[in-house]
Amino acid sequence: MAEITFRVKRQDPTDKKNPEARWEDYKVPFEGNLTVLEGLFYIQEQYDGSLSFRYCCRASICGSCAMYINGAYRLACQTNIKHLDIIHDAEPVVTVQPMPHVPLVKDLVCDMDDFFAKYEYIEPWLIRNSQDPEKEILQSPKDRKQIDMPIDCILCGCCYSSCPSVWGEENYLGPAALLKAYRFEVDSRDEARKERLPRWDNERGVYRCHTIRNCQEACPKELSPTEGIQWLKKAAVRRRLFGRMK
Amino acid sequence: MKAETINTHRGGMWSWLFQRITAVLLIVCLAIHLILTHIANIGQIDMENIGARLANHGLTAVDIILLAAGLYHALNGLRMVLMDYWFSTRSRALALTAGLWVVGLVFLGYGIWALWPWIG
Repeated sequence: MAEITFRVKRQDPTDKKNPEARWEDYKVPFEGNLTVLEGLFYIQEQYDGSLSFRYCCRASICGSCAMYINGAYRLACQTNIKHLDIIHDAEPVVTVQPMPHVPLVKDLVCDMDDFFAKYEYIEPWLIRNSQDPEKEILQSPKDRKQIDMPIDCILCGCCYSSCPSVWGEENYLGPAALLKAYRFEVDSRDEARKERLPRWDNERGVYRCHTIRNCQEACPKELSPTEGIQWLKKAAVRRRLFGRMK
Repeated sequence: MKAETINTHRGGMWSWLFQRITAVLLIVCLAIHLILTHIANIGQIDMENIGARLANHGLTAVDIILLAAGLYHALNGLRMVLMDYWFSTRSRALALTAGLWVVGLVFLGYGIWALWPWIG
């Protein structure tokens, strides 16, 4: 059984004796389908129980274990080590860091409070003004197709962490919240076009996006928040100049 | 960051839209300008030659539109870059916008003043 080195960035900002970040190496036995998350479990169980990281579903659907692994945004549970380029190295090293540009709680755990405050600000739920129908609200296959892309967002925060506009402006809503706004703006069942518009149609909303497309590259679900944001910019013009609320 | 500080910047649509409109104007006017000055009308670069070209009011209009669109596009682009840094708060952003408008209008006025002998 071969061994893989896990180089993990450790930091506890609340530790008064040692608040600085440091790299620590751990040897982890490597078998066929070892994921980065399983490697972290091994380290926690065999070497250091104080290693902190978030996880939940282990099936790349909850978005909890987003990390910066070998220089790319990835979900630890989705990242199979045999698919990483380093597997061909003589002494493979997996580097694991918390998501950069997001405040740190400890080790690999980021403070996502701002991220979720912005998400909530966009009112990410279905809003109806007309009376609810007796049965379910019908949607044509064509209308349903509109939300195919944005509903796959798992709110892992990779796009948010990778966006230079977020780094520069702490009040910018960021790609995830705006993708969610797009998700409801294109949903034929939602009726809050006018109410939600001022929340994203401003310079801390869609116009702060400079189409850098880091979010698109970072997204582990291969979604394109940029595409959604560009749609919103055009929708703002259609709505405010021509009164077309679709 | 607090939730109430998220949305303190109103607007932004016009600046985004005009950035696109001026981009199209730049492509059209710059093409006309370059073709007429460097391809179609090659001659001595002297006052008489340039004066003869600018006597056509249509071409003078193209040059003024080119100047206005160029100034708007460049200064608005600069504004977007600077707003990502120190000018991110509402009051600083407003001061920046006002300052850049003054700079733009001064340069536009200077450009029109320089062309005035052929306009008036």
